[in-house]
Amino acid sequence: MSETILKTEAIHTFIGQHHILQGVSFEARADAVTVLIGRNGAGKSSTLKTVMGLLPASEGKIIFKGKEIQSRKPYDIARLGIGFVPENMGIFADLTVEENMQVAMLREDAATAERLESVLEMFTALRDFWRAKAGILSGGQKQMLAIARAIINDTALLLIDEPTKGLAPIIINALIDAINQIKQHSVVVLVEQNFYMASSVGDYFFILDDGKVVHSGAMAELVQDEEMQSKYLGISKSV
Amino acid sequence: MAEQTPVQIFRRQERQKQYRSGTFFLKLAVLLLFILVPFLFPSFKSLDLALKIMIFAVLVASFDILLGYTGILSFGHVMFFGIGAYSVALLIGKYGNPTYINLVIGFIVALGITSALALIVSFLSLRVKAIFFAMVTLAIAEFAIILATKLSGFTGGEDGIIMSMPGIFKVSFNMGKFLGVEITGRLITYYFILVVCLGLFLLMIRFINSPLGRVMQAIRDNEPRAEAIGYKTFIVKSISICFGCLVSTILGGLYAMWVGYANPESVLGIPIMLDVLLMEIVGGMGTLYGGLAGAAFLEFAHSFLPDLQNFAKSLFPGAHFLHAAMERWLLIFGILFIMVVFFFPKGIIGSVQDFMARRKTAPSI
Amino acid sequence: MAQTILKQWGSKLAIAGAIVLYLLPLLGMDFSTYMTLTIAGLAMGMMLFLVASGLSIIFGLMDVINFAHGVCFAYGAYVAFSVFKYLNAWVTADSVFLNFGIFFIAIVAAFIVVAVVGMVVERVLVRRVYGSHLFQILITFGGMVVLTELIRIIWGPNDEVMPKPVSFAGNWNIFDIIILKYPIYAIALGLIVYAVIQLILKKTKVGKIVRAGVENPEMVQAMGHNIFLIFTGVFAVGAGLAAVGGLTMAIFNLQVYPDMGGAYLIFAFIIVIIGGLGSVTGSLVGALIVGLSYNYVAYLLPSLAVGVNILIMVIILLIKPTGLFAAGK
Repeated sequence: MSETILKTEAIHTFIGQHHILQGVSFEARADAVTVLIGRNGAGKSSTLKTVMGLLPASEGKIIFKGKEIQSRKPYDIARLGIGFVPENMGIFADLTVEENMQVAMLREDAATAERLESVLEMFTALRDFWRAKAGILSGGQKQMLAIARAIINDTALLLIDEPTKGLAPIIINALIDAINQIKQHSVVVLVEQNFYMASSVGDYFFILDDGKVVHSGAMAELVQDEEMQSKYLGISKSV
Repeated sequence: MAEQTPVQIFRRQERQKQYRSGTFFLKLAVLLLFILVPFLFPSFKSLDLALKIMIFAVLVASFDILLGYTGILSFGHVMFFGIGAYSVALLIGKYGNPTYINLVIGFIVALGITSALALIVSFLSLRVKAIFFAMVTLAIAEFAIILATKLSGFTGGEDGIIMSMPGIFKVSFNMGKFLGVEITGRLITYYFILVVCLGLFLLMIRFINSPLGRVMQAIRDNEPRAEAIGYKTFIVKSISICFGCLVSTILGGLYAMWVGYANPESVLGIPIMLDVLLMEIVGGMGTLYGGLAGAAFLEFAHSFLPDLQNFAKSLFPGAHFLHAAMERWLLIFGILFIMVVFFFPKGIIGSVQDFMARRKTAPSI
Repeated sequence: MAQTILKQWGSKLAIAGAIVLYLLPLLGMDFSTYMTLTIAGLAMGMMLFLVASGLSIIFGLMDVINFAHGVCFAYGAYVAFSVFKYLNAWVTADSVFLNFGIFFIAIVAAFIVVAVVGMVVERVLVRRVYGSHLFQILITFGGMVVLTELIRIIWGPNDEVMPKPVSFAGNWNIFDIIILKYPIYAIALGLIVYAVIQLILKKTKVGKIVRAGVENPEMVQAMGHNIFLIFTGVFAVGAGLAAVGGLTMAIFNLQVYPDMGGAYLIFAFIIVIIGGLGSVTGSLVGALIVGLSYNYVAYLLPSLAVGVNILIMVIILLIKPTGLFAAGK
């Protein structure tokens, strides 16, 4: 069993008066892709935002590389080596693709330049639109830009929130390839509703429902277990 | 008896409860105090203080309809107060005679202008982001101050307009003694204003408890949701603005009747707006009665601040900067305002209500 | 068909219409008066731009409406007033070099002092009320009142005469058109500041982060940038720009008075409403519109001068409620 890089222990999060997360515990193992799945409103996105510090956890611990980070500011957490791709991708539409990447770079050294080179090789479309406003990119290209921004620094952990949302199947395949490449360098935690995507890249899964983790295990088991799929993911058996 | 809906039953219970609660008698006692002020404290200073508390309490309550109940911050509220004051002053002072007819016409003209202006303002700025409303109303209010100051031929400029009241409202009017107190024009004006203020206040309470008032509060709490349920939020907000402004206008006219003049500094300026804001914040947003607490606090402060300043000066005879600071009461009020917003965002009445609610629910927990 | 033409040509039509509109005053005056008014209007516009741009960027980045912004304008004027008083010899000396020297010193001093004031305001007042427009307005309004009263305590409650450096007075005579010197300097200063702001926003890393923050401050945080530090910095710079606007305006009008901030805050509000909150270019265009209109109307119909800007604001609000240049949001 490989070591755990990120671990949350019974985190509770409120948005206004709503008790969104009611004791979420999950962990991401190094050298693996962990997928959080669940219905809309189950608390998947809120879990990622809480890890990132964008939502304050009122209770519980978040441990990254052995350090407690639940009371740190988002920018500190990011500088510890966590990259974040939010659900809406957070593209700066008025900035060019180049400027988007520059804002994301925390250092401008040789290693970053090297990473940029390999990122552009992976997402060639970004090179084509390098000096264009990011707002004109297509949905898939925006998603690529968002992921590229998140891995341009030396990120140990990458949090990606529903990258397949609203994308065409052919682009989803490209994303799967990309994530399979990325997982060579960093640990990925993925929030995903698209089970095809989840099962293609995921090694471990956690199912969230009503702000709690209700099931977890190796992805291979979930692929076998059609009953659980239909219960929590709304996938009918015929598909 | 026909079967009642749950809502009707709830309302009936509420109505019955209201006569048994302690606050109801407190309210009666306050009203009685206002009625008895001329007999208990028969000096002009105390009468003047009581009247200003009264007018500003109702003015703040009308401001609260906008801010506390609809969630709209308007810096133009005092402008409408000024419109009322100026209309009355112009029609019985400068361009008319002190007759009852002119007084009535003064109020009618003021209400007409206010209706038109409030409608225009609400149509204009409700189209845009809520945050613009404060900016637009401040710009328009500033414009009104400039107009009142610059058009001196019409408005009397900085000096404003001085007038005397008709008939029984005239200061020199006297109809003998009653219980050892002389019944002067001032006293009659006082009671007249008290009655009108009470009427306006009751009207506002009725207004916020009406179905329309409930929609207003729904808008304040969650506008998209209120809209999604099917309420025309734009119209409700416009009505709320117009209603609040009309009350403000009447109060302006009453105020002019009392002081006998209208000038930019006393009925239009930024300091008055700050006073109203401070009273609103001190009293608490969303509690019509808060205005009374806020107005009482601030008007007392206004009238006793000079003594307080002298006292503070005598304490620190050497500190010149402190002396200069004490002279500037606006500075003190400004700091007070910031403190209250930071530390008591619910104000006096709001905090008391919270405390009472906690005490009531405490045993059941 | 007509609609597509209107869409394609809409902005050009608007520009052409605006040019025609701003040539109209020619009918009521001779050409040299028109030129004088135009230059005065452009100068006033540039000074107002300095106030409005800060207000606009602060709103765009932090979603904060700062009612205390006008006071920064007044502080700038008063700091310059003190500098001029302290180094009066430089002001009265008949030397272009010394005059520009003192002007430059005053600008730097006003910018630094007021930037510090802005930082304090942000840290003490605004920091606690991010996210709530209502409380921001209330708190910064309170801050405005307190800071204005502090002016009265520090510099006295009366109007004061602001001296004008000797070589800033006077005029050039070009083909019988008399052109005052100082307004030209003010226009040049405004253009330089606009260029510098654009350069910083477009070419530097901090500028790019600020622009990114205008669109999505949460994302900027999640990328490892301390957004609060940036907020404080932008607030300070915005306050400093307002201060520079205040001192140039004080020299232009030859006076300083404690309430000057409030009066120009209204102008700044009108400008950002016209130009669109969050856009620097919008502030420039809005400021020029306001400055020119004010000067033409003040000459033709003096009593309507302030009203015309309210009127323009109303018209813009009716046509385009977000302002002419809405920012990314």
